[in-house]
Parts: sequence; C-alpha cells; structure tokens
Amino acid sequence: MHSPILKVQNLHTWFETPTGTARAVDGVNFELYQGETLAIVGESGSGKSITALSLMQLVPEPAGYIEKGSIFYKNRDLLDLTWEEMRALRGKDIAMIFQEPMTSLNPVLTVEKQIVEAMQVHGTATGAEARKRAVDMLNKVGIRSPQQVVRQFPHELSGGMRQRVMIAIALSNNPQILLADEPTTALDVTVQAQILDLLASLQKELGMSMLLITHDLGIVARVAQRCCVMYAGQIVEEAPTSELLKNPQHPYTRGLLASLPSRARRGQELYTLEGVVPPPTRWPKGCRFALRCPNRMDICKNVLPGETALSPQRRVSCHLYNSDSAEAAVPLENPS
Amino acid sequence: MNQQNIPLLSVRSITKRFPVRTGLLGKRIWKTAVNEVSFSIEQGSTLAVVGESGSGKSTLALMALDLLAPTAGDILYQNRPFSDRSREERRRLRRDMQVVFQDPYASLNGRMNVREALTEGMIIHRLADSPAEREERALQLLRQVSMPPESLDRYPHEFSGGQRQRIAIARALSVNPSFVVLDEPTSALDVSVQSQVLNLLRRLQKENNLTYLFISHNLEVVSYLADNVAVMENGSIVEMGSVDDIFDRPQKEYTKKLLQAIPAIDLLRGHNEEA
Repeated sequence: MHSPILKVQNLHTWFETPTGTARAVDGVNFELYQGETLAIVGESGSGKSITALSLMQLVPEPAGYIEKGSIFYKNRDLLDLTWEEMRALRGKDIAMIFQEPMTSLNPVLTVEKQIVEAMQVHGTATGAEARKRAVDMLNKVGIRSPQQVVRQFPHELSGGMRQRVMIAIALSNNPQILLADEPTTALDVTVQAQILDLLASLQKELGMSMLLITHDLGIVARVAQRCCVMYAGQIVEEAPTSELLKNPQHPYTRGLLASLPSRARRGQELYTLEGVVPPPTRWPKGCRFALRCPNRMDICKNVLPGETALSPQRRVSCHLYNSDSAEAAVPLENPS
Repeated sequence: MNQQNIPLLSVRSITKRFPVRTGLLGKRIWKTAVNEVSFSIEQGSTLAVVGESGSGKSTLALMALDLLAPTAGDILYQNRPFSDRSREERRRLRRDMQVVFQDPYASLNGRMNVREALTEGMIIHRLADSPAEREERALQLLRQVSMPPESLDRYPHEFSGGQRQRIAIARALSVNPSFVVLDEPTSALDVSVQSQVLNLLRRLQKENNLTYLFISHNLEVVSYLADNVAVMENGSIVEMGSVDDIFDRPQKEYTKKLLQAIPAIDLLRGHNEEA
C-alpha cells in the first residue's frame, strides 16, 4: 500500500481537571491514506472528538494539552510546527466540519463573506474571484440557487443547507484532508443521507482523504472504507468496514453490533453491555473494557493488552488474540 | 401480536393550526401543524409516528396527551372524547397518560432528588397514603428499571444519561399509567445504553400492558419496538400500517425515501446473523 498522508503515533491528549488528569486520548495510533475515508467510531467519552481536535491542535487550552505523540503529515510532525505554521495549514491543508453548523457559522455574516474569508485568509483567492468561487462552491455542494444563498445569513437556512455551507467553506481551499466530526448527527434522516452521499462524491471528485468521527455504525457502513473503534481513549480494533461489521473481533465491537435494534431482532431481548465507561481520570490498570467484558480473563484485570495484527489490515487490542496470553482464551460466542 | 381489539386511544380527523405573524406588521396567518390526522392505538400495542423535524409529530403527541386542544376533530380516550369530559375527569386522566421525553437532562427537575421525583406524582394523585407506602413503591419502581435503591437520595446530575432516562421512565410509571407517549426516548443515548432502555421499555410494556405512542425518526428502533407505524409528512399521515407493511411494501414515495435513508448496516448485519 502507498504511504499514508497522515500518520498518528502514540498520541496522548490529556486534560487537567479538579478530579485529576483526564487521559481523554491515551495512546492512539492510526494512518490515513490518500483518497480514503477512515471512520473513528466510539461512544460519548471515548476520545474520538478530542482525537480530531488534537490533529488540528485545537484542544481547549490550558486545561487540555497534547502530552506526547506525533502527527506526521507530508513527512513533518505537526506537533513540531510553530503556531503560525500550524495556522497556515489549518483550514487549508486540513479542514474540519462540525456537528452543529449553527454554532460554527458566524450568525452576523452572510454566507458569501464566510466562504470568501476562508479563501482570503489563506490567499487562495481574493476579491471578485473569491466571490465567484464562493458561488461555485455552493453549486458544488448541491445548493440549487447559489446566487441567492450567498446573500443570506445562517439563520435563514435550514439545518441541511447550513451543513452544506459549512462543507463549502471547508472545501473552499481544496484541503488534502477533511476532518468531519459527527457531520450529520443534528440532521433529519433523509437530509443525513444526502449530506453523506455529498461528502462521498466530493471526496472522490477532489481526491481528498476524510477522517469521519461518528458514534453511528450505520454511517460508518455507508461511507467509510476503513474503521477504527475507540474505547476509553484508545483504538481497540481497526479493520476494513465490511470485515468489521461482518466479523467483529473485539468483545466491545461485538457487543456494540449485537446491541443494535433492528427488525430482525423484534421480540428478542437486545444484547446489552453492562456497566459504563470508567471516568477518564481513573482508567483501570488493565484492559479498560475488562469490567464490562463477557470474555474477561484473569490477565485482563492487570495487563493492558497490546495490539495484535490479525492481518495486514486488521488489528485488535485484546488478550484473547494475544498468543502469549491466549492459552486461557475460550472461543468467542457471538452475543445475541 | 395482540388479541384485544379495543382501541385505548382513537384520534378522529384532528387538525391543529397555529397563528403566526409574518414580519413586524405582517398579517396574522395560520400555519397548519397537524392536518386531519386519524388513527387508533389498541390497548397494549405500540404505534410509532415517524417523520422529520417539523412534520407535526410532537404537536400530535401533545394533543394525544390532552395537553393541547385540537383546532378541529376529536380524540377519544377509552371511547370517550376529551371534550365531553369534565375538568376534574380530565385532571384525573393525567395520571393515566404519561410521557417520557428525549432529553432526561431537561425533563427531570435538577433540584429534586430521585425520591421526590418518584413520589411527587403519587402525592398529587393520592396513590399512596403514607410516606412509608410511597417509599416502598419508589423502591419497587427503581427495581423495575434496574437501578440500585441508594439512588433515592441522589440528584439527577449524579447519574449518566442512560440512568437518568431510566429514572424518567420510573417517574412516568409511578402513577400506574395505561398510556405512555415516548418522544424520542433513546435519541440522546449511546448505542450500548439505548439497548438497555429499549429492553426496559419492551419488558415494562409486557408486564403492565402499556400502550405506547412512540415518536421517533429512527426507523431501526421503530422496526424493533413498534407494532404499527404512521408516517408523517408536513402535518399529515401519508401512510400507515403494520411494521411489515411499511417496511416491505411501502406505497408512498416519501416512505420509500425514508427507508432508503436507513444506513446500509442492516444488510451486513443480516448476513452476519444468518452465518
């Protein structure tokens, strides 16, 4: 496989809180390849959004900080860049869209001003050229009357339209990488489907790479080629999406998939993962999923499992797959 | 499914219009939120109302709970219209009809501990005479929703989202309702917590023969929990039928569009389960 456009190694992003150090992101590794969509899926508190913010170096300071790790982009470690150098990259090479477009758009500026501003800041285009490009961008994101929409303010637009405007702003500088943090969570299902299809087609057209942060396995199935499952600040499983959904390996991933409601499961009790995610200030010493794990072994309580490569494209962090500790492993039953 | 054919709730051609002003000096115009909607729900069954934001599903729920009067049409509860009942009778019906909202952070009073939240309704509706009796009943409710008895002295902010939603459900059940409106009850919850709440709702329905009006935009959840589905668009029910009818034989374009928007995971998972 060709070399990754983004390589995240051993990333730790911590927060100082009154109750102690919250290790929100605690040793994350992944690679993003040219032109692919990689999803990071996890529940609230898993650290997926903080991972995305860390890539942009937008972690809320001073409480939050990147403790250690590296983020390689074009053979440079972004964590070695100065604030000014990072500023030049942010929004140009790497752009980001968020869940709620109403809070990320400026309510007192027209759509045109906001798209033009993004280009001016990075010198991509200015003046009349930038204004023309703003209309082109709106066209590209599927807005039917761009000439009219450029003159409007965010509150005059529907949620779906606002998210399209956000995407237009993010893509106005032709970024290499788009970070999309729950881009459709606030939208209605049919609009959600439209926006996801739009992102997928734009990605193909522009050849950019997308890192999609979501809690929704359905969205992962729809747009991502590969998927990382995050739990308690770490990636516990990585696999091509179809393999992950057909044949999940980590007990957490298995549990998540088994707990999804569907018509096929009518009248049946859904599988439940008992317990809750431990607080990030007090991760357990061993496997962080151990307390909720149906396959728990003695070793899990005390030893944090390392990554085991199951194939060139798959890895899992679980003692069940670790040859040193697997003698106690029982064959996994699919829960449900 | 259900052998009883007695509708608990029967909605007959109800319409709700709201006045809205256009501009500062604009004329008053009427916006139709719900337009000639009819349906009935059999005792012990679940009707899901699906539709997108602004389709009128929450307005419909408020009218079904007698919290909002329809502009036109009748709502029959246990075969008698709300409009034929005395004020006192309608007040007593409030006990029989409860609601669980999407966001348990907003729907529970942050200054009431769980004991107060669970016993307030019993006091108002005079369901338990002595504090000891109320305490006993509150503990029983906590058991029903799988929460530890120590929860009684704690406040909503001390619980996770899923636990709070269980408390909200316990509170709804504290007055022995027959009819419960579930307004997006799992939308704010994580997947692993959602399954706990869905299992709970299903179990409680069986145990107490509850009738659910289930408002949702999540078709996967609907297909799991509901018996019948009404699809709403712009204030009207465009299609209604059993879960199988709606999912296997959708007639209307809008229903088909909604179904197509369900993420593709179902196919993959179906495959997994056959294996």
